[in-house]
Amino acid sequence: MRRNSPLVPYLFVLPLAGLLTFVFGLSLVRLVGFSFKQVRGIDGPWIGLRNYELVLGQPLFWEAVRHNIQLFLVIPVMVVIALALALLLYERLPGWRIHRTILFLPYVLAIPIIAVVMKQMFQFSGPVNTVLSALSLDFLVLDWIGSADVALWTVMGLILWRETALGVILFLSRLMALDETLIEAARLDGAGWRHRAWYILIPQMRGVIEFFAVISAITMLSAVFAYVYVIGGGRGGPGTATMVIELYIFNALIRTSLPGVAAAVSVMLFLVSLILIRALFALRRREEE
Amino acid sequence: MTTQARRTADTAGLGRRRFLQAGAGFGALTLTGGLAGRALAQTPALDMWWWGEQELPGLQAYLDKAIAAFDLAQITPMLQDTAVVISQFQTAAAAGNPPDIQYLWNGIYHMESVWLGYLAALSDVMDPGILAASNHGPLSRFDGKVWRMGWYPLPMPWYFNKDLFDRAGLNADAPPATWDGLLAACEALKTAGIEPFGGGVQDGYWAEWYLTHALSQNLDTVGDAVNLFIGDLDFREPRYHQHWVKLAELRDAGFLNKDMASLELYPGIDLCVNGQLGICSSIGTRLPADAITTNGRIGCMTLPVFGVGALAGRPVVDMQGLGISAGSGAPDIAARFLEFLNAPAQLASFWEATGWIPAASGFDDSVISDPSVRDLWTRWGKGNNITNITNLMPGQFYEQAAIPTGQNIITAGMSGEEAGELAARVAQEWRDFNPDLVETYRTWAAELSAG
Repeated sequence: MRRNSPLVPYLFVLPLAGLLTFVFGLSLVRLVGFSFKQVRGIDGPWIGLRNYELVLGQPLFWEAVRHNIQLFLVIPVMVVIALALALLLYERLPGWRIHRTILFLPYVLAIPIIAVVMKQMFQFSGPVNTVLSALSLDFLVLDWIGSADVALWTVMGLILWRETALGVILFLSRLMALDETLIEAARLDGAGWRHRAWYILIPQMRGVIEFFAVISAITMLSAVFAYVYVIGGGRGGPGTATMVIELYIFNALIRTSLPGVAAAVSVMLFLVSLILIRALFALRRREEE
Repeated sequence: MTTQARRTADTAGLGRRRFLQAGAGFGALTLTGGLAGRALAQTPALDMWWWGEQELPGLQAYLDKAIAAFDLAQITPMLQDTAVVISQFQTAAAAGNPPDIQYLWNGIYHMESVWLGYLAALSDVMDPGILAASNHGPLSRFDGKVWRMGWYPLPMPWYFNKDLFDRAGLNADAPPATWDGLLAACEALKTAGIEPFGGGVQDGYWAEWYLTHALSQNLDTVGDAVNLFIGDLDFREPRYHQHWVKLAELRDAGFLNKDMASLELYPGIDLCVNGQLGICSSIGTRLPADAITTNGRIGCMTLPVFGVGALAGRPVVDMQGLGISAGSGAPDIAARFLEFLNAPAQLASFWEATGWIPAASGFDDSVISDPSVRDLWTRWGKGNNITNITNLMPGQFYEQAAIPTGQNIITAGMSGEEAGELAARVAQEWRDFNPDLVETYRTWAAELSAG
């Protein structure tokens, strides 16, 4: 084969592609296979689409889906807050270095650690309610993790607090890479902070903002297990108030001995995540064009 | 002379005679080592996967001593994580590589493995007398065989704080025995400024324990609980959701502690031990420590009676146990080890290491000196007890009905009737998801009802 053959680059990536196919591809094939079986132990009889029918007909599954969708409400709030904080840090206000560290800290800590501490803080007789009472804000004293009406909002608050830090990191690194001469020129022309941010900085950050939004959507869909596991008492509680799809899968696999059902939901979750990833690539392509 | 020079001289001085002597010595050593190795290799090596240190501190120390004292096999213990006790064993068994001895929770938590063919019948390999004396309980029987040995019991009392009863003007030597008596006691406690009843339901276990004590009050046999899941009985009938109506009654009367929804089970029990809560659901293994903490001012009672079933008012005793894998390479040796654990010396060692009572009848309970623990053991362990019926629940019902109903009644204003509807629906879903298990459950229910 000639060195300038168009096949040469593919030969270079072939070993890695083979490895990835072996590690992920086989698992995926097996997962899809499981979803069509009534698995007991590690295998079972073929039952066609029955697992999908059962799951889609179960109110608990749709409640979990609704909760995941409710978590999506966090994304716009997170983008706005992260953007505002990144822009403020970019202005290098007094003490910006220490503020940057404080903002990054939640993202450095493991989710279970944060969630356990927060759970203690937000107990009905915990420090948050004690402080609120001391400030005569009794109308804000809620059963943050014990009330079925409030618990998911508490989880959302925790996710917002931690995941915003990732947005700040991404946005700030993009800001640091911008050409400062343009910003300096705008400043000399008398543009204030608001105008510089709105007309110069944010338009240049569109790509990273879209990226963060799509990544966050995937997070809300398939990476909130640790949050709800700790805050929801390990069961999506109180009742089923914090049940999400990941926990549904975990329960089906570990606690109710239904690996086939867990596989069916995993396949559906995988497909939805694929759609989101496809959307991300489409956005990137549009950006490049 | 340097060290290097000395070494060179010594090597050079090694004559043929010394070389042959050294060779003979080396050969003898090899032969001896080989024989010893073969002898070691002939000692069977068993794996034991276990759990329980979390609820019974000292169990690991006991087990290590027992394993060291057992000379028929080399046993390698592995402490399992709570979340994977069942799934890890079942996966290993399905893959053909299970441990020889496995820790087994009661009822469905091991019966499913029996139905999958992963466990050996202990009645085929253990001494029948020793197995019976291990007090494995009725939920370890299926198809006329016994599949699990009893290891240590878990009496399930309701605690009441005697000091708080005194403060409320109640008789601390005669806790309420009827539901009306309970309501009156709660009212007295509330009037005295004491939170009367509850604990912590945030992690769900309180809801399970409530069901253990309360659902059984309207059942005539343990098998009736299974009949509720397989559809032969119906949670929508008032008799079978009355327990949830009663829980809602306590909520509506304001008798439940206000932070119950955000507290976990054990911190909830601590409230009662620390004198902040009148009555709570507990577990016997806590009592030795709690009795010391309160200077004996914790009393134990059964849940006051409202039901009309034959099981109403009887003390509940759960049982943890051990079994042998069907895939074990040495089931007879594993059986000898289980028998060894029931020897009187081992039972005494268990008590010494854990401060708790082993299950076997051969245990000399005269060593129990704490009056609270002795009283609990007399009335629960040796009394006319019943097993924990939540051990009959399919996992799907446990996760999607047993726990959510209790939590929703306490935190979300659910009524007892709505809880019954939810339970009936989840039981139906379980049957739809597991059509292959329904008939097996029906067989089990029939055996349990027949006693």
